[in-house]
Amino acid sequence: MRKLLKNEGFESFIASIICIILGLIIGYVVLLAIKPAGASKAIVAVIKNFMYYPSGAAKIKYFGNTLVKTAPLLMCSLSILFAYKVGLFNIGASGQFTVGTCAALYLALGANMPWYVCLISAMVAGALLAAITGILKSYCNVNEVISCIMLNWISLYATNMILTKVKESTSPYTLVVANTNPKAILPSLGLGKLFSNNPYVTIAIPLSIILAIVIWVLLEKTTLGYELRATGNNKNAAKYAGMNEKRNIILTMVIAGALSGLGGAFLYLSGFEQWQCTQSSVPGMGFNGIAASFLGGLSPIGSIFSSYFIQHVTAGGAYVDKTLYCSQISDLISSVIIYLCGFVGFLKLVLKKAAEKKEGGETK
Amino acid sequence: MILLLQYMIIFAAVLMLVAIGGCFSEHSGVINIGLEGIMVLGALGGALVLKFYPEDGNAFGLITLTILAAVVFGMIYSLLLAVACVNFKADQTIVGTAMNMLGTAAATVIVKAMNTAMNPDNVSSTIQYINTKKAFLKNIGGFEFNWFMLITLVLVVISYVVMYKTRFGLRLMACGEHPQAADSVGISVYKMRYAGVIISGFLAGLGGIVYITSGVSEWKFENGVAGFGFLAMAVMIFGQWKPHRIAVSALLFGLFRALSNVYMGFDFLKSLNIPSGIYNMLPYIICLVVLAFTSKHSRAPKAEGIPYDKGQR
Amino acid sequence: MDAPYAIEMLNITKKFPGIIANDNITLQLRKGEIHALLGENGAGKSTLMSVLFGLYQPEEGQIKKDGKVVDIKNPNDANALGIGMVHQHFKLVECFTVLDNIILGVETTKNGILQKDEARKKVLALSEKYGLAVNPDAIIEDITVGMQQRTEILKMLYRDNEILIFDEPTAVLTPQEIDELMAIMKNLAAEGKSILFISHKLNEIMEVADRVSVLRKGKYIGTVDVEGTTKEDLSRMMVGRDVDFVVQKQPRTPGEEILKVENLTVASKIHKNNAVKNVSFNVRKGEIVCIAGIDGNGQTELVYALSGLEPAAGGKISLLGKDITNTSIRDRSVMGMSHIPEDRHKHGLVLDYSLEYNMVLQRYFEPEFTKNGFLDKPAIRKYAERLIEEYDVRSGQGPITRARSMSGGNQQKAIVAREIDKEPELLIAVQPTRGLDVGAIENIHRQLVAQRDKDKAVLLVSLELEEVMSVPDRILVMYEGEIVGELDPKTTTVEELGLYMAGAKRQ
Repeated sequence: MRKLLKNEGFESFIASIICIILGLIIGYVVLLAIKPAGASKAIVAVIKNFMYYPSGAAKIKYFGNTLVKTAPLLMCSLSILFAYKVGLFNIGASGQFTVGTCAALYLALGANMPWYVCLISAMVAGALLAAITGILKSYCNVNEVISCIMLNWISLYATNMILTKVKESTSPYTLVVANTNPKAILPSLGLGKLFSNNPYVTIAIPLSIILAIVIWVLLEKTTLGYELRATGNNKNAAKYAGMNEKRNIILTMVIAGALSGLGGAFLYLSGFEQWQCTQSSVPGMGFNGIAASFLGGLSPIGSIFSSYFIQHVTAGGAYVDKTLYCSQISDLISSVIIYLCGFVGFLKLVLKKAAEKKEGGETK
Repeated sequence: MILLLQYMIIFAAVLMLVAIGGCFSEHSGVINIGLEGIMVLGALGGALVLKFYPEDGNAFGLITLTILAAVVFGMIYSLLLAVACVNFKADQTIVGTAMNMLGTAAATVIVKAMNTAMNPDNVSSTIQYINTKKAFLKNIGGFEFNWFMLITLVLVVISYVVMYKTRFGLRLMACGEHPQAADSVGISVYKMRYAGVIISGFLAGLGGIVYITSGVSEWKFENGVAGFGFLAMAVMIFGQWKPHRIAVSALLFGLFRALSNVYMGFDFLKSLNIPSGIYNMLPYIICLVVLAFTSKHSRAPKAEGIPYDKGQR
Repeated sequence: MDAPYAIEMLNITKKFPGIIANDNITLQLRKGEIHALLGENGAGKSTLMSVLFGLYQPEEGQIKKDGKVVDIKNPNDANALGIGMVHQHFKLVECFTVLDNIILGVETTKNGILQKDEARKKVLALSEKYGLAVNPDAIIEDITVGMQQRTEILKMLYRDNEILIFDEPTAVLTPQEIDELMAIMKNLAAEGKSILFISHKLNEIMEVADRVSVLRKGKYIGTVDVEGTTKEDLSRMMVGRDVDFVVQKQPRTPGEEILKVENLTVASKIHKNNAVKNVSFNVRKGEIVCIAGIDGNGQTELVYALSGLEPAAGGKISLLGKDITNTSIRDRSVMGMSHIPEDRHKHGLVLDYSLEYNMVLQRYFEPEFTKNGFLDKPAIRKYAERLIEEYDVRSGQGPITRARSMSGGNQQKAIVAREIDKEPELLIAVQPTRGLDVGAIENIHRQLVAQRDKDKAVLLVSLELEEVMSVPDRILVMYEGEIVGELDPKTTTVEELGLYMAGAKRQ
């Protein structure tokens, strides 16, 4: 059994590596097609990310920046994989992330609330939005993918409207949290010092890793996890066994939504960015989260690493020579990786089937 | 009022094309979540023709070439879905989602590269087609008639006939309902599913170019198509996977989408003083409400979303 | 000169990893005969047919048609050779009409538009000729299973097939419909069609077939003329030992009422009528009550309502004297109801869970298996190991085997073990022996009787006439959602039972 589990983990790992390599190769080919001269330099820039800086201190500082954005991505990725284990495709992580941001920033800037209040309300906002999807799914049989997309757009427009009230008068961006209400900034607990005094490194980073472990324990070790995964694998059997399918679907979405909503707060309460109130599409975090969760083999622990990788590449896009290429090249790479993840299921299934056939044959 | 009607019809046309496209794909047994991405690519193909076609060129040639480019881009892009889901039995949701992201990312990269190559200072992802777009329009007493409206009407009728009156339609639907049955009478399920997906590429690609020429004369490809592919899926569900019903429900959704464009023209609506954000949200909210009431008893093709495995007969 | 055989499969060997599904099998079908292929589940019948249809390529052996060697690479080749099959699970598109289903794949068109008039005429002529009455414009999901089967037969005739294969065709029919089918088959053979009849039901084979070929565990046992053989001989050939057709049980007097159903009505998910109409009955301690009937007469919905999977539209259900009409599935289970479901893959098992996790599917939350919200894995392992031992559930890796990789018989044994070990007051068993071999069937019948002898109540739902006649103490016959008769298996006959099942008779 242990050996088999190891094999499965190993299988996922190999599959993910293949996806990453193919994704990078395709990205490289696209760069070559646009302008052959700078392509190698550009792809190296994407891969190097913060290693671009010569000094060690700067490297560490910018490594910190990548981590600051990894934390919210990890939250989205956890949200998606958690829902996926229960048989739901939470493409609405972006919307939940957005309303989380909205709640956190509005309470921070508009109501002068301390960080923990903002954090909790971001969770609640994400959870409530996702609950709509869950309720529509379990009581009205509405496909969760479509309702999630609709809610993404609704939350984008709503957030833009609400956050316009706390934006700077001269720009489309929201007020800077650190200046307006410093007590809403997440505490650093001295972590910033470790990253060459990076002011954005906060407890969000360790917190997100702890939550990944919590989600793993929840899914694998608890009675609730047993029940939720049974619902995901075979909802008819779950119903037959007396599990409350409707409640489980809603509960799952609520947890998933809370995770994504928290992601929004993790990013904007670190002070790293301000929300742009004229934004015309939902943040890409929720979509990159899909890449991260599948690349991580749908395991919360694997997600920690894959989220970092995706963020590393996305941040690396910023170092590409803008006069030659655009930064969307990293979006392209991550979407190619998701596409390839579709094939991973097939590959693993084939391997599994072959293995099972052998076992089945032997026992007969 | 005429403006509202005009916008309603053109938006409805987009929804009809894309929803019927999705309908062909689903009747063959493949859920096409990637409609949105296909629209973007179709829009890109059409926009490129509009940008580079000589302004003094023949209008008929322009229209033909634009449509051709849009549908070819759409069909080729839809192959990504067909290959993954028919041959490799990939998860249709993941692949479709990836295609939506890839569509926007690829179009942005391509347009930006093109713009930058033509003018090193231009790093935008926008294509303009102010003049060439005029070829599609004809002003009839204040109503701006668009050739796409007629083309859509013709395609809706053709779709209906193909689906219900031809051998192809019968076989296609058999593959989406009971692929084992289709296979047992010598129909190639794989080929039919390819056909269904490629037709959806054709129609969604066309829908893409109609969408970006509907109200504006330039398009910023970073924005994708703003969830229109998903609205079309809702229209398809509301239309119960039937072309004629889809046409009717597309008109309804088109109306709400048009309202957000032209509500300023109505004194009554203007006096209500509702922020524009609300009007922007309206189509999506309506969509959710409609789905909530119609999904419970909807009858989707039975075998949709399930990869067909020749081994499991 | 014509060769005497329409189709010959000579020395066919087909191997799968770790198993020889067909080991040197020879099957010769004469022109105009009805040839039965007899064997238990897993004997290799379906593999052999898959070889004939080109779904599998055999490692050894060859196939001859009219004496000439043919190469069948896919089902289209088989169709082209005039080989047609009525599958056990019909290959019909449910939302299409009968006519559309018949012409699918061989449609006539003019300018690309379907031409159905000619086809309709031909179908009507065929149904006249062979006595296959069916309305060509009816939608498949609206017509009876018997009609659907006729559609399948018409599909073969419409394609002018000469070799007709019937795969377990009687499983879904009433005794009267079975008689009709037998007449149709004889009629077809008289018209010169060659028929291969796959079955494990000895009575039917004795009645209709000319010759029988028997398979056992992938091996060819022999071919005999039906004339000059007996049921007992055939069953010995099929199973390899003498079979006890009688279920051993002592007479018992039933005790107090465990389950009481009063005027129960359940809505249908398929059509607008109610699936179960105003049904009342009870099950008492120490008796096995059997709900008999043709598939689709409301048995499934009745059980769904009893177990809580679907709500009741009206009426009252009481378990141990308590009203459970609106009680949750979980509460019914805790109160002492066990349910061996009809579809073990849909409801019975989480196929991607391990065997041990499946063993506690209804009990994982009990203090025995859960501590402070965490699963007590050692306790679950210990429990699963005991059940595996006691109920002889075989699997590749014991408790940690994935349920998906187990054989159907062992999956069923696992479910039976789980449900019986809960020590329920009421055991509902729905088609518990479906798809199992004789040994496993005997085992499950013994378990049911053991429950009865422990003074528990058992409600059995069965479609198999032999099971209905031998296992229960009382028979309730369902027809179109109603209980139309209560029979005593000791005094009733199969014919009488059939009349009730077909709705021709009611009390």
